[in-house]
Amino acid sequence: MHMHSHTSTGVSRHSYDRDQKKAQAMSIQKICNRFASAVVLGLLSAVGLWAAEDPQRVAAETDRLLREEVPFASAAKKAPPCIDDERFLRRVSLDIIGRLPTPEEVTIFALDPSPDKRTRIVNKLLADLRYGENCGRYWRDVIMYRRTEERLQFIGSMATIEPYLIESFNKNKPWSQIATEFITATGNGSENGNCALIIAQQGRPEEIAAEISRIFLGVQIQCAQCHDHPTDSWKREQFHELAAFFPRVATRPPQIQPMARELMVAALDVEVPASRRRPINNTMRFFGTLEHHMSDPKEPQSEGKLMQPVFFATGDALPTGTKDAQRRGKLAEWITKKDNPFFAKAFVNRLWAELTGEGFYEPVDDIGPDRHATAPKTLDFLAREFTDHDYDVKWLLRTITATELYQLPSGPRRGPEDPPMQQNVAQRLRADQIFDNLLLVLEASEPPQPGFLPAAVNLPNVGLRGGRPRSQFMTAFGYDPSSHRDEVQSSIPQALTLMNSPLVAGTLRGSGNTMLARKLAEIHDDSALTQELFLRVLGREASQSELTTCLQFAKQINNRTEAFEDILWSLVNSAEFLHRS
Amino acid sequence: MSFHIQSDVSIRRSGLRRRDFLKFIPGAAAATGLLSWQDLLAANAPALRKAGKACILLWMGGGPSQFETFDPKPGHSNGGDTKTIKTSLPGVEFADSLPLLAKSVDDLCLIRSMSAKEGQHPRATFLMHTGYLPSPAVKYPTFGSIVAKEIGDPASEIPSFVRIGAGQGANASAMGSAGILGVDYDPLALTAAGRPPENTALSTDEKRFQRRLGLLDRLQGDYANHGGQQEVGDHQKIYAQAARLVLSPKMTGFDLDKEPQKVKDLYGSSAFGQACLLARRLVETGVTFVEISHGPWDTHQDNFNRTRTLNGQIDQPIAALLADLKSRGLLDSTLIIWTGEFGRTPRINPNKGRDHFPRAFTSVLAGGGIKGGQVIGATDEGGEAVKDRPVSVNDLLRTACHSLSIDADKQNMSSIGRPIKIVDGGEVVKEAFA
Repeated sequence: MHMHSHTSTGVSRHSYDRDQKKAQAMSIQKICNRFASAVVLGLLSAVGLWAAEDPQRVAAETDRLLREEVPFASAAKKAPPCIDDERFLRRVSLDIIGRLPTPEEVTIFALDPSPDKRTRIVNKLLADLRYGENCGRYWRDVIMYRRTEERLQFIGSMATIEPYLIESFNKNKPWSQIATEFITATGNGSENGNCALIIAQQGRPEEIAAEISRIFLGVQIQCAQCHDHPTDSWKREQFHELAAFFPRVATRPPQIQPMARELMVAALDVEVPASRRRPINNTMRFFGTLEHHMSDPKEPQSEGKLMQPVFFATGDALPTGTKDAQRRGKLAEWITKKDNPFFAKAFVNRLWAELTGEGFYEPVDDIGPDRHATAPKTLDFLAREFTDHDYDVKWLLRTITATELYQLPSGPRRGPEDPPMQQNVAQRLRADQIFDNLLLVLEASEPPQPGFLPAAVNLPNVGLRGGRPRSQFMTAFGYDPSSHRDEVQSSIPQALTLMNSPLVAGTLRGSGNTMLARKLAEIHDDSALTQELFLRVLGREASQSELTTCLQFAKQINNRTEAFEDILWSLVNSAEFLHRS
Repeated sequence: MSFHIQSDVSIRRSGLRRRDFLKFIPGAAAATGLLSWQDLLAANAPALRKAGKACILLWMGGGPSQFETFDPKPGHSNGGDTKTIKTSLPGVEFADSLPLLAKSVDDLCLIRSMSAKEGQHPRATFLMHTGYLPSPAVKYPTFGSIVAKEIGDPASEIPSFVRIGAGQGANASAMGSAGILGVDYDPLALTAAGRPPENTALSTDEKRFQRRLGLLDRLQGDYANHGGQQEVGDHQKIYAQAARLVLSPKMTGFDLDKEPQKVKDLYGSSAFGQACLLARRLVETGVTFVEISHGPWDTHQDNFNRTRTLNGQIDQPIAALLADLKSRGLLDSTLIIWTGEFGRTPRINPNKGRDHFPRAFTSVLAGGGIKGGQVIGATDEGGEAVKDRPVSVNDLLRTACHSLSIDADKQNMSSIGRPIKIVDGGEVVKEAFA
């Protein structure tokens, strides 16, 4: 990916195909001579030039539609000036690779005179492997924060979700393919990361249906599980018709043994006698059933009504008796097909909310037909383009980051009466982002995992104390990314972690083998050192008043090491460090 | 971004609606308008704490055997080798490894007819803590968070909900968190009693800490003036609270060395004993809900020896806790709940163990207006089923709410605007109260 990022990351339309084409190009190179390969690469970059303009075109049309639907409310009725290069680079780096730019990157970007440098930096960041990491961890949290599987011995079976997602996003798999892989997953969760969604819901058809609908369609149809939805048009039957795609699924250890630590997604198309279905000590679904039944609230003990698999959004249906592979395969096909409006809209709405701070619908996973969107035409347009671009995630990132709203200054979350989408809204960084930024700005390496769990287990809310610092950060700073951002609150344990934790306190020191000790030795001028620390921790230079404050402080303390330890502490403990703004 | 979410958040942040608050304070003081909101909160904190009510949950993670604790079946083959000891209540016997609790029976209300359906640790643990089964759609709040929100002191420097030792035994995550109630009501978690809460020990001396806070404050102005006022405002509030916590004199509530040796001896030196002593100190300090984990009680193998050992770890501390609270006049206002997520099978398996059994098990209540010296409900001869007066998990939670003057029918909003009752269904076990 890295080798030709500058020339061809503009090839967005089929970048996943492109990787395969690249692989083909390599094999051609082996057989043919240099001339032939140069022709192939030349063709690829020609496609790249054409495609590079495409996100700009869609972004411009998005801007136009958005302002038709929600005009600027200011007296001038027009957009405020876009943010400067420093702020843009910080924002886009945090959004795409989850990290702050380094002081060197800030300087190089500021000095770059080319007019299309913002487009080019987006392409460069999308080619960085940390893009997949940042995006993958976001989706890991979307799925894992709602898990109902909490048995500690099986947590490891879900940890594979992170590497699976990282690889998928770095390869730029179309979103439809990722969705399909989650819906149709089978096999051992410790090997197949796409099993994690089903394992997270213990293989229970109703929970799986609820989550697939919420995550991939933004439809909270599970509210109709027990009764007709109070505010939406969904009927109870429609929820159970969706659950009817999953009755044959179950999760169980690959080998039945007392100390089993792995789970697999197993599907059986034969009846398992009731006597074998429920092992002692466990109400876990070891085996599925051939069909799904909707329970009768009046007679909860009865089997209930036999449900046929029907997909509520498109009306597509399968007969009862259909095999599992076909049920889930067809459902994935219908969920991701172009005339299902929810699939593209759910994804676009989420990404838009992440990048601009305000979704068309909020919370982001509640976009059902009875909800009202801010700027529905804009969302429809962008969702249609996303569909036409074969659910190309990098394309969508290029497009939204090229919009005007993305590049507007950030302000506070609006009140209920304020006009929507007037500015970009600051968001709290996620736990991984804060942790990685701390490591980055303090030049610290991630402490090793002490025993017990494999290093790959990065899951929110695992509830392990004494785990490695990253897990501790997740416990303190983690939040469910689907939750309404008003509800993502700061907490006392977060403040205590940054104020006092041994990890932070130790790496902040101005003596020993630390970043600050090195900078204190290298930079003798206090103004220059202050600027270095601001660039490093906040991704911007200090203002005149901030500089004055720091210099006066240093003078007052009269101990250079201590003074700059305190300044660094204050920067790392600031609200600005914790937010993408 | 609908209106109810906005107003809901403002309630969370202040912890209490002004309107609710005005009901509690004398009219004159409120009318003068001389006191600030914070002053009023501080002045009336005890009233707001519903006459100082508190709850200590003794969580027996893993599922304790009712046969080897409070519902032995001597003489029946399901009873195994467990010997019993008489209590002062006629016909009521405990396992003989609980001699001090047998003597404290006058303070205990045994519910021998607990009955549920969940036999998997995390699901049953979650159910017992929240009254709901885990769901991907709603993060149901754990009982401690509910109590902290409903009757905790919103002006307290230290959190109203402290959880001790959840790392051991059942997964802490299944014990739940504040969920939809918001992080203000999350538990402050301690790995064990006798150590200060995580990251509350200052990394510098206090003077330098204050100096840093001052510099931080001065450096936040620019960002606040450039669109960051909301984040900076929230951040300052949390940092002020965190600083108040670490510098609070109430932090000595966590310090067991402040206890006289005589009292320490009463509780014993085990981890659970220390945690019980800490619970009492915290309740005195103003903490509303303390949850102590003990276990693991998951005795699939060697049930009889292991339960005997576990009983040995809880007998003295719980008896001491009851006596100590009583002598300080705190027992009437402090509800104690002893329970696990389920009980254990009547059948003894080939490994001399007992397996998971939610159908019939025992939970114990004490203090908080509960009438001691009684047994509610009964299992049949072999302990295989509830014979008399089944009590569900929600009945138990509703009973706890009643003891703590919490309206169990009150609804909280989920993130998608779905109203969630504190306890959905169930009935108060009326005979539990004096």
